[in-house]
Amino acid sequence: MTATKPDLGTWVGKGIDRVDGPHKVTGTAPYASDVTLPGMVHAVVVTSTVGAGTITKIDTSALLTLPGVRAVFTHENFPRLNPSPDVLFGEAPTAPLQDGRITFHGQEVALVVADTSQEATEAARLIEITYAAEAPLLDPAAGQPEPLPLSPDTSRGDTEAGWAAADVRIGATYRTPENTNNPLGLMGCVAAWDGDHLEIHDTTQGTIALRKTLAAMFGVPESGVRVRVPYLGGGFGAGLNQWPYKLLAAGAARELGRPVKLMLTRPQMFRLVGHRPDTEQQVRLGATRDGTLTMIEHRATVLSSIDFLAVGLITSGTGHLYACPNVATVERTVRLNRRYPTSMRAPGEAEGNWAIETAMDELAYELGMDPLELRLRNLATDLDPASGKPWSSNGVIECCRVGAELFGWSRRDPRPSSMREGDLLLGWGMAAAGFFAYLPMSQARVTVYADGTAAVRSAATDIGTGTYTVITQLAADLLGLHPQQVDCRLGDSDMPASAQSGGSGLASSLSNAVIDAVSHLQGELLTLAGADSPLHGLGPDDVVCRDGALCRRDDPSVRVPIADLLAGQGLVEMSGDGRLRPPDAAAAGMVHAGAYGARFVEVAIDPMIGRLRVRRVVSVTDGGRILNRKLARSQILGATVGGIGQALFEDTLTDPGTGRVANGTFGDYLVAVSADVPDVEVVFVGEPDRYTPSGTKGIGEIGLVGVAAAIGNAVHHATGRRMRDLPITVDQLMM
Amino acid sequence: MKTTRSTAPAPTAQDEYTVDVFTVVNGAPVQWRVDTRTTLLEALRDSSGLTGTKRGCDQGACGACTVHVDGARVVSCLMLAAQVDGRQVTTVEGLIDEEGRLHPLQEAFVRHDAFQCGFCTPGQLMSAVCLLREGRAGSDAEIREYMSGNLCRCGAYDNIVAAVREAAGGGA
Repeated sequence: MTATKPDLGTWVGKGIDRVDGPHKVTGTAPYASDVTLPGMVHAVVVTSTVGAGTITKIDTSALLTLPGVRAVFTHENFPRLNPSPDVLFGEAPTAPLQDGRITFHGQEVALVVADTSQEATEAARLIEITYAAEAPLLDPAAGQPEPLPLSPDTSRGDTEAGWAAADVRIGATYRTPENTNNPLGLMGCVAAWDGDHLEIHDTTQGTIALRKTLAAMFGVPESGVRVRVPYLGGGFGAGLNQWPYKLLAAGAARELGRPVKLMLTRPQMFRLVGHRPDTEQQVRLGATRDGTLTMIEHRATVLSSIDFLAVGLITSGTGHLYACPNVATVERTVRLNRRYPTSMRAPGEAEGNWAIETAMDELAYELGMDPLELRLRNLATDLDPASGKPWSSNGVIECCRVGAELFGWSRRDPRPSSMREGDLLLGWGMAAAGFFAYLPMSQARVTVYADGTAAVRSAATDIGTGTYTVITQLAADLLGLHPQQVDCRLGDSDMPASAQSGGSGLASSLSNAVIDAVSHLQGELLTLAGADSPLHGLGPDDVVCRDGALCRRDDPSVRVPIADLLAGQGLVEMSGDGRLRPPDAAAAGMVHAGAYGARFVEVAIDPMIGRLRVRRVVSVTDGGRILNRKLARSQILGATVGGIGQALFEDTLTDPGTGRVANGTFGDYLVAVSADVPDVEVVFVGEPDRYTPSGTKGIGEIGLVGVAAAIGNAVHHATGRRMRDLPITVDQLMM
Repeated sequence: MKTTRSTAPAPTAQDEYTVDVFTVVNGAPVQWRVDTRTTLLEALRDSSGLTGTKRGCDQGACGACTVHVDGARVVSCLMLAAQVDGRQVTTVEGLIDEEGRLHPLQEAFVRHDAFQCGFCTPGQLMSAVCLLREGRAGSDAEIREYMSGNLCRCGAYDNIVAAVREAAGGGA
């Protein structure tokens, strides 16, 4: 842990434009799909047309006579791969094309490689596969419930006693459907081998995690595998796992001795790179007449695929938001012949918050109490109610109060259908929100050059959140430079190892690594200060870098140009390596808090045709120290759009007979478009978090949490109808 | 700009699967000898190396591949390369001027942070340029309606509207 608090404030926090903006608006930012290598051939994945069973025959002989076709890989000729190493968030999907087993409809069963993508696509269409099909297991009730490793059951107090002691009780079942991440960028890669060295341009959110998997499964040294992702067309969790397509491309490239490009199609994006899995949740709440919670019980079942478990985390936040003495959470999964689940923006909280915050609204109506007042009475802001230790920061009450003020909540008539505008029914709803703290390891290298400029390097990926920009701002403050003097490069596993962009963990992880790297850099520069130097004898935290000079922290007029320090030893640059140094949790005496929020929504419903419009959103977030106000606002705006989609549109349908995705295109799977989104008011509250020197919290996901529940609660306010199943569709709103 | 049909003769077929296409891309004459099944999107990206135009769905549903053909916006994944023979194509690479300066909309997109991952951005820009030309930026609601063919999964819509509104107000 760096002893001295960093000097931040000149550039950190400012809403500067994205440093990669000009590349993105001119079409010059290179994504994996834009990579072309000499001699490159194109691969197309063939997927199963049954939901369970075994392949009995694949006839590829005719395909090989088609123009341009170079190879067809099936389980009969694809190279055998080593078992997957442990991966982030649980199991890895099984290696592709190792046997003829089919575990879900649309699974990878063959790979066609041809000179052009048109030739490969044509050949893939003509492949003939015979299956011994079995009836897919698709009914959750017929499956075997099992626990989820990342979501253990929790219990405190005595929920049955809390139930008995309650004056008012509610209990209901809530459902969230499968949602598909669907980043705009189709996922895929270009893989090229040189002997045992593999270079892959991919759409992963984590270059280091992918490097580890590829090295282990192909049996080559990790040092020789390079993963490059300078730009990423979104992901929202779909880029967290080491999906089979990457192994298919790398395997084919090795067999053919040529670079192989493999880009998934949009329909394949619904089946081969994960989704937010379906949940069914039972919630019971009890409270005394004054609105004090006496018990919370949250039971969730989340669906998994046969070979790959869901992440879960549906109930993991439940015991931490409200100060209730009696809480029990139970989470189970069922393995079905369904496609792979994964994390999708705000994993677990997106689903769990829907149930809990809808239930809280139901409880408020049972109590005859303002839903905001019920939250304020029970939110746990000082101590984490599970451990009894103080939070490192918690601004959830401030989020609620500020949001209510901006929204005008006090003018709300609580009676359902009481607020109207002409023929329209208006509804005002709110929800509180939290997202867990997650602090994965990252490393970074900071280099200063004789010309006064500096560079930051890390293997982290900028998924679109603005990592390039905020790290540039942070380094500019730490080095006393203008952001234009700092060159930040990311997305290359040959750079210092970093966590993935995911779990809202990267900004904190990487910014603390950069703070540590600058401290080490200062230490390295001090070793160049000879006995006659005014800086001689000082420690790394006694000095700061300012305008190309190393200065005494307590008296910046005592300074030595970095160029002089370097030249004295014949150096042209000096680097400092750093890593996240998380505090010892026990010694810190506090619980690392995640981000918090409160969402206030106005909907207008035309009862004659069931049309619902979200008219107004006030979204307040405690995100700790904000690194860039403009980009942080964009994170909350974007997550709000995701929440509107979750609430009103997104629903990946599975054919109950075959297990096939029934709406796997952008024509059939609806997402929020511009016309569905109102102007959103985004406000940040709270203080820099105490847990790490950067003071940051992750804000990529918190903005989505609570949006769906606030909309559902607003619908209840408008109509008197309680929404418990997502998405909220016209048929639920027709009067 | 008015849309005009080409008066050029039909593209010349070399063999069953190959066709020669003569077109103008971003003001420069271009010849493609491509597979007859090649879409305009693929020809731009693979034959001309203009990878600014993105493939997001290949089904005309996301707008990421939006380009201009004879001044009108089209989704280039639903148009065969052979169909632009004798016509004018403009891509995102053609928005900067001769001196390399950004188009006012490109500047407004940067200033308003009208993108995050940036993958849908070229298509958003190409739609927005046409929207201004079509006179469809009269109100935020109108901008939203006429930009709704371009999906943004990062959810930058509010900032896109702000950027288009500003560019419209600036007389672009």
